[in-house]
Amino acid sequence: MIKLIGALMVLVSASMVGWQISRTYAKRPVQLRALLVALQMLETEIVYGLTPLQRAFVKVGQRVNKEVGNLFLLAAELLEQERALSAEESLQKAMKRHWPQTALRKQEQEVLASLSQVLGSSDREDQQKHLRLAVTHLRGLEEEARAEQDKYEKMYKSLGFLGGLLVVILMF
Amino acid sequence: MQEIMAILPASVRNIMTVLPSTVLEVLEEIRLRQNQPLEIRYGQQTSYVTPAGQITSIARQGWVFTQEHVVKLLNQVSQHSLYALEEELKRGYITVVGGHRIGIAGKVVLERGEVKGIRDVTSFNIRIAREKKGVAQKVMPYLFEKGTLRNTLVISPPMCGKTTLLRDIARQISYGNEWSSSRKVGIVDERSELAGCLQGVPQRDVGPRTDVLDACPKAIGMMMLIRSMSPDVLIVDEIGRPEDGDAVWEAIHAGVAVVCSAHGSDVEEVARRPMLGKLIRHGAFSRYIVLSRSRGVGTIQAIYDSSLNPVKKEQPA
Repeated sequence: MIKLIGALMVLVSASMVGWQISRTYAKRPVQLRALLVALQMLETEIVYGLTPLQRAFVKVGQRVNKEVGNLFLLAAELLEQERALSAEESLQKAMKRHWPQTALRKQEQEVLASLSQVLGSSDREDQQKHLRLAVTHLRGLEEEARAEQDKYEKMYKSLGFLGGLLVVILMF
Repeated sequence: MQEIMAILPASVRNIMTVLPSTVLEVLEEIRLRQNQPLEIRYGQQTSYVTPAGQITSIARQGWVFTQEHVVKLLNQVSQHSLYALEEELKRGYITVVGGHRIGIAGKVVLERGEVKGIRDVTSFNIRIAREKKGVAQKVMPYLFEKGTLRNTLVISPPMCGKTTLLRDIARQISYGNEWSSSRKVGIVDERSELAGCLQGVPQRDVGPRTDVLDACPKAIGMMMLIRSMSPDVLIVDEIGRPEDGDAVWEAIHAGVAVVCSAHGSDVEEVARRPMLGKLIRHGAFSRYIVLSRSRGVGTIQAIYDSSLNPVKKEQPA
């Protein structure tokens, strides 16, 4: 009886692990999409609204998916509180703190990091160019992420369950 | 002063705060130039400031403002958003919280022969704005006749306090006073001097019933305000272009009282200018206030009526 319960627990936890991994594959395209939307909103705020960067971050942060939005809110907070920080530094700092909480990868971080170097420090046209460039990069990554999702999401789910099943079979 | 201190880079702020309070109280300008010593203008004097916050007349003892400080100051002034300052960079000055003005110079970028902006900013002139409330007190009794406000032209050479006077007139009319109840005031503030707007919000006290069209060309602005805000009084600084005259004429005949100003040292001189001369000859104005510096900034030299006779004081209603 105890053996049976143990086997069940192994099966359940193995499926859970598989499910967790597959979730990150499912989440990444969603968050990437949110990041894309955020950058497009930022473009509107900067190019048409002429909103100061700090307020633009807050506006964007409040409107997009929370997991990505919090990154901008954090950057806005840093920008307001630590006056010696430049826009680049505050966004970098926010990314460092916030990135582990997202399903996003290093590549996305690099795109955003290179954008942060110019954000706010040139005229509208230039800002627009850089924002569009970042969006194009992220689009590419999004496609890639979707392909990966199709490939691996199901696979990890079944792999988890089947792995658990293997252990159970070996146990008996 | 606090508003100014807040935008200065920490290194400059630390030096400025140890300046003697006698200097700080009369501080008029802080001049910062890349690779040059920090210069201040206070009272009628100019001097450099040493790294220890002492005043000196020897340039090489002064604390030097470097490129790193330029970037920091620009970041603070623009709130990390240079793109939002395009218009300001085109005009060459930025208005900050408190209505203070920062003049800038550097490398100008052209586009099709027109100034597009200043790219490498190297010089800053921070001008500290000080409001002088109550300067209009002396002229208010002359502006009214039987309880109605008269169309007024303030004539003054530069730097005699004409903008300050206009602002105080706007405030007094907006709040209301002994001669009239409070009225709706419209200000067209082409150079952002009257109300010192920041993001459209007046940084100077121009009264509770005042609407400001910031950075708008005067002639267009006057018409816009009449149509959109139905002001009782329109206040405009420095009219001079032909279209300004037409707009003033229109406004007066739309039942709006106009208080405006023009450069000049007396009525005769102003009357020789084509547009203003026409307005004066047609009796557009019934009050002329002439300012000078003869007894300090803002001396009221004379107040005339439409036929250029001195005006009697109106008794409070």
